[in-house]
Amino acid sequence: MAPVSLQAVRKVYGDIKVLHGIDVDIADGEFIVLVGPSGCGKSTLLRMIAGLETISAGDIRIGGRVVNELEPKDRDIAMVFQNYALYPHMTVATNMGFSLEHRGASKAEIAERVKWAADILDLSHLLERYPRQLSGGQRQRVAMGRAIVRNPQVFLFDEPLSNLDAKLRVVMRGEIKGLHQRLGVTTVYVTHDQIEAMTMADRIVVMNAGRVEQIGAPLELYDRPANLFVAGFIGSPAMNVLGGTIADSRFNAAGVSLPLPTGIGITGAARYGFRPEHLLLTPDGLPAVVSLVEPMGSETQVTMRLGEHAVVGVFRERVAARPGETIHILPDLNAVHLFDTKSGARIN
Amino acid sequence: MKTDLSPRLRVALYGLMCVLLIPFVFPTWWMVTSSVKPISDIFAFPPDLWPRRFDFSTYSRVFELQPFARQYWNSAYIAALVTAGTMVVSSMAGYAFARIRFPFSNTIFMVVLLGLLIPSEVTIVPLFQMFLRWGMINTHWPLILVPIFGAPSVFATFVMRQFFIALPGELEEAARVDGLGRFKIFWIIALPLAKPALGAVAIFTFLHSWNLYLEPIVFLSSTQMFTLPQALTQFTDAYGGAMWNVQLAAATMTAVPVLIVFIVAQKQFVEGLAHTGLKG
Repeated sequence: MAPVSLQAVRKVYGDIKVLHGIDVDIADGEFIVLVGPSGCGKSTLLRMIAGLETISAGDIRIGGRVVNELEPKDRDIAMVFQNYALYPHMTVATNMGFSLEHRGASKAEIAERVKWAADILDLSHLLERYPRQLSGGQRQRVAMGRAIVRNPQVFLFDEPLSNLDAKLRVVMRGEIKGLHQRLGVTTVYVTHDQIEAMTMADRIVVMNAGRVEQIGAPLELYDRPANLFVAGFIGSPAMNVLGGTIADSRFNAAGVSLPLPTGIGITGAARYGFRPEHLLLTPDGLPAVVSLVEPMGSETQVTMRLGEHAVVGVFRERVAARPGETIHILPDLNAVHLFDTKSGARIN
Repeated sequence: MKTDLSPRLRVALYGLMCVLLIPFVFPTWWMVTSSVKPISDIFAFPPDLWPRRFDFSTYSRVFELQPFARQYWNSAYIAALVTAGTMVVSSMAGYAFARIRFPFSNTIFMVVLLGLLIPSEVTIVPLFQMFLRWGMINTHWPLILVPIFGAPSVFATFVMRQFFIALPGELEEAARVDGLGRFKIFWIIALPLAKPALGAVAIFTFLHSWNLYLEPIVFLSSTQMFTLPQALTQFTDAYGGAMWNVQLAAATMTAVPVLIVFIVAQKQFVEGLAHTGLKG
């Protein structure tokens, strides 16, 4: 276990700037998730921590030691790849013991460590099989086994669940989280799936276009997104955001006037955000015309028109309204977010 | 494979295939049967598909007229060395062109490939002069070195490069994280996975060397040093007339390893070429 520190880390390919100076401090034993849309630089950053990409500027420290110039094998890290990267011509046991073998471990030690990892990951009965004889979930577990067998200081995961079906993804999510809780090894996990990020991370680093938009605990990002990008990226369905102006303690958008939380001392153009689950059905609310009702069982998702804006609401109640009918809604004023129109930064 | 052909159409199709097979099978059949015919029966008209009389003494005469066992050994060990050498050179070169980034790698590869366009007849005289200067005429060195560093190896390099290009990059990265350097990644990870392509390279390199004719007649002069294709032309009587039955007995024995290689390794050969994208 070791802390990881990224200081002003930049990556440039010719004239293309991929990372613009990333500063992140990861505590010893922390589970941190790098999340962002495709092309935001999160995988590049992970590969730079692993030593698979060179660093254009800045410092990466693992356990207090600058590792910029070190080969991947000398960084004491283990990585789980998106496509597992199991050696097809080796058995599960050989795959798992491979790194130890090439670091001069004795056969007895290799066998002991492989057995230990296989027991943890329920792979003992698969040790003599080849990767082609395994299911997707089993391959994923072997890839994790290969990572933990060496007892590294840092685990790196590069979108490890993206090739699994939705059901298996949920199971493996729990297994990775459980493994981290059991071993307590510092973990950096890359995903574009914000639900994975929310459910697994101690802290989330939200990235966009090579920059860090916000770092924080999952619920902190959810409850107080620092800007419009984070507000839109974290949470599913995405936050409703309306453009308009603040005047006379009201937010006036096209065709609708919305109440503001108390203590808002600003006026002028702004953006007004509320999450779908923070809409309340109330007879005193604002009229909205229903356009689509999607019952989920535990909740109902309703798409409607509020003034001239399309908004989505998620209600625990069963909504009986049909498309074309009017319901009355009101945002929970304790969960309203206001953002600056130009910069997109949070202003309340 | 399931087909929905009617029985009648199926019979017609198989009949057509049998007819098309004749031009391919007949020369081999004629070679084998003629090798056990007396020489006067070989050109009988109409030709006999099955020998009227069997004369197996042709096979022993092959060894009396030429140091055929020695020539067989020459061909065998030269082909083995060429095959092994080409596999080493082409796999390393193919890996380098496919996986290692270095300046002008694609341009250099194109220049190397252009070598395939130069017929061996064009370079045979300069090669002769070079090996003469090196004191290697009437030795087997030219027959070993020219294919390993010449056109067969270039083609083999192309085959290996195409295979290594398709190898997932994550495997190499995982190996780097696991502690392997570049050569060990090649040796322990990439090469074992390249068995189908290596198999294809081995087969066509062996066959190329086994059948080599122009180079032996240029570089070799003593019968003890001859290889089989060259030796086959030497079965003549005192008047220079070809001893067809003896020659065809020698040819039959020469063809045996080729047939064995094809029968044993044809699946590997097709798989290997499929990996390179060369198969139609």
